[in-house]
Amino acid sequence: MTSWAYIPQLLITGVTIGAIYALVAIGFVTIARASQIINFAQGEFVMLGGVITFVLLNKGFLPYPVAALLAVLIVILIGFSLHRLVIHPLRKASLLIILMATLGASFFMSSTSNLVFGSLPKSLPPFSGSEAFHVWGISILPQSLWVFLATSLLLILLYLLSHRTFIGKAMEASSTDPMGADLVGISRDLMLLMAFGVSAGVGAIAGILITPIFYTSYNSGTLLGLKGFVAAVLGGWGKPSGAILGGFVLGILESAGIAFIPSGYKDGVAFGILLLILYFRPKGILGSPFVDSRRW
Amino acid sequence: MSLLTLAEVTKRYEGVQALNRVSLQIEKGTIKGLIGPNGSGKSTLFHLISGMERPDSGRIFFREKEITSLDPHKIALMGLGRTFQTIQPLGNMTAVDNILTGMDRRLRGGLLSCGFWLPRIKRSEREALKEAKGILEFVGLLGRWEWPASQLSFGEQKMLDLGRAIALRPELLLLDEPAAGLPPAEVDALSKRILKLREDGMTIFLVEHRMEMVMEIADEIAAFHHGEVIAEGSPDEVRRNDRVIETYTKGKKTHA
Amino acid sequence: MGGGSITTVSKNEFRKRDLFYVVPMWLLSLVLPNPVPHRKREFQKRDLIYLAILVVLPLLWRDFHFHHLMVLAGMNAISALGLSLFLGYTGQISLGHAAFFGAGAYTTALLTTQQGFPSLLAFIISAAVSASFAYVIGKPILKLKGYFLALATLGFGEIFLVIVRETPGLTGGVVGISGIPWFTFAGIVFDTYLKQYYLIWGVLIGLLIFSKNIVRSRMGRAFLAVSASEDAASTVGIPVAQTKLKAFVMSAAFAGFGGSLFASVMATASPESFSLNLSILIVMMVILGGMGNLYGPIAGAIFLTWLTDVLAGFQEYSLPLYGMIFILLLIFFPEGIGTRLGFRIVYLISYWAKKRRREKGKIE
Repeated sequence: MTSWAYIPQLLITGVTIGAIYALVAIGFVTIARASQIINFAQGEFVMLGGVITFVLLNKGFLPYPVAALLAVLIVILIGFSLHRLVIHPLRKASLLIILMATLGASFFMSSTSNLVFGSLPKSLPPFSGSEAFHVWGISILPQSLWVFLATSLLLILLYLLSHRTFIGKAMEASSTDPMGADLVGISRDLMLLMAFGVSAGVGAIAGILITPIFYTSYNSGTLLGLKGFVAAVLGGWGKPSGAILGGFVLGILESAGIAFIPSGYKDGVAFGILLLILYFRPKGILGSPFVDSRRW
Repeated sequence: MSLLTLAEVTKRYEGVQALNRVSLQIEKGTIKGLIGPNGSGKSTLFHLISGMERPDSGRIFFREKEITSLDPHKIALMGLGRTFQTIQPLGNMTAVDNILTGMDRRLRGGLLSCGFWLPRIKRSEREALKEAKGILEFVGLLGRWEWPASQLSFGEQKMLDLGRAIALRPELLLLDEPAAGLPPAEVDALSKRILKLREDGMTIFLVEHRMEMVMEIADEIAAFHHGEVIAEGSPDEVRRNDRVIETYTKGKKTHA
Repeated sequence: MGGGSITTVSKNEFRKRDLFYVVPMWLLSLVLPNPVPHRKREFQKRDLIYLAILVVLPLLWRDFHFHHLMVLAGMNAISALGLSLFLGYTGQISLGHAAFFGAGAYTTALLTTQQGFPSLLAFIISAAVSASFAYVIGKPILKLKGYFLALATLGFGEIFLVIVRETPGLTGGVVGISGIPWFTFAGIVFDTYLKQYYLIWGVLIGLLIFSKNIVRSRMGRAFLAVSASEDAASTVGIPVAQTKLKAFVMSAAFAGFGGSLFASVMATASPESFSLNLSILIVMMVILGGMGNLYGPIAGAIFLTWLTDVLAGFQEYSLPLYGMIFILLLIFFPEGIGTRLGFRIVYLISYWAKKRRREKGKIE
């Protein structure tokens, strides 16, 4: 029937949200590669990026770009604090405890956001116009293009950083061979701190990109974080390329799924995909260096 | 009667041929030793026999039944026990509980019967405790029976592992470097215990680096190198075998 | 003891003032859990003391609010007890146990409101339903380890919620089911908090005895073995996957019991009560109570129920405070609050005693 006719339009939505999932997934993978930790508060970084920009823009009366930049910096600082105050004290604790701690941090961040910034959904002005333009019968928001562009730039930037700069290489080294890196003087702790900073920054940028299209509220972070994790596992856990691929695939599947199932089940799609992947191919689409090894 | 038979067992890990068409047999009621330099495939062989990994090709028979692709716990239930090179103390339990865990296959009781503490469960627990203490005495740990396993010394944990494997009352016991890390006096005690086990009818397959110990207690020895059996026979025969001597002196020169 | 040369009394002489320190330590030893792990698992005389306190407490302290809290704590304790078999003993993580709790609640709700089932029957069937769900999803899921298992259970919990919300015909959707009748048994209607207290804690004690029996039998050892070393466990013939599944199903059944009681006590069942937050809360109770422990999670349940109640008084600050305290508890008590509590208290008392003695010695 005409369900299929919606597909092209839904693909655009899917790719847009997929880009965000990809960024969140990269955030997870960055921290996990540095330390085997999964930061369940990742989604909160996205939420805070959007919310803090909104506050700086509307209450601080700062110009949009300045507000955005400042918000990203603030969220990066929050990422550092998360490491120092929660992760670092627990560096010797078991996996379960760290997992619970990041869940606790996620809860703390979302409820504090509710307390400080209020519970109304926040929106941001789109970067350029808000008029959708039409191509081949599909309407595309300019913001979607911005999301796609910014995500691509950011990913290229991250790639260059990790392969061409010293800090980046140090982080790669630390994640591939922690003990070896330690022995040549690369502090694992510092690398992990950097990883948290990068993840927070990437998350915040994702939040700023997506808020003009979908509202951001104090509790958007949790679900977004979980879906980002699903995306990372879907694409191939532990690989940045897997995270990116998984993000887009999840976004497309989720959005296209609306054509066929009742919209209330939309959030369930991600979890359904998660269970399917974990049952049938835990390695993910591109395969994973971590699954099957004794670390997991 | 051949208790354990390996036929052309082959296993390859990425880039490394761990085992290459290995065939050997173990007679019931004997102690067979397996010697060889590090990396010659000894532990891999044990992993394959106990079911933790599958061979790429070849077959393994225990008590005339094929066990090549059985799950490890099923193989254990058939009467094949093992210890590990790295000790695996069940640290969250006491020493006697470790032994009782070893006796699991002979204890009856599922969730419901245990939960309701049926009289047969109560009886079985009481008798099991007596037997477990007997095993602890055999391995020299009776004094520590109530101690959490995690608080035992390294040597004691090794003995606990042995006790747990014995508690299974296996027909065939695989011992993976049981003497590693033990002082000479304890190695002596260990040898005596292994001999006593054979007296009581257990068949033992022993991987060990300490040549004196293996030569002393084994009935037959197989020598391994690069995943192949290079000699097999009585200790004296193997000791005088040319290839074995070559491997061992060569091995000493190349392994830094 | 540093002040040996200053005091005029030899170390071994008994002084009346020693009673001052020894008596409270003796009293504490009557009540605190026995640190020797083997004996810890048998039933002990101090258990009777706990039981007596439990029976008598609500009669002594006739505060309405206290009864209400203990009723809530009891239901949480049932879930925590069940989860401790899976998490504390078998060492596996589940972040979706609220779904089993909810399944039990909804089953009871549906059976008693629409079909008119008697409470006891609904109670048992609810646990069976939760256990069946656990069996079905456990088989494939339990192969996973660590984070992946946690995530899969979390996913299942979320899917459960989505399905509940989206099938209003069956579950009343977002609003839920209300008008659930009070639990009735043998002619007694459990309609006051006091009666519900005895109902719930009675069930808990029964389940506790059951669990304790499991723990001190071969089943308990199998659980612990799987947690300590799956390789070693399979080497002695313990079927690891089956054992994990048994623990999972058992813990789900307990949660189902808890959920059923929840429905009968709260008279309504709605999705918000069974969210991820509840799952996390139950896991926290087990962690704070200590792994490998049965009383711990129960104490943890009482503590956390009480804590959430206290925090509620802080209005809008309650949630951030909760999050912060949560993290602090994890940092300071990763092995449970009670672990080595006996030792810690004894250490504190003896430290204080030594300090006093040193000071007295200096004056003399």
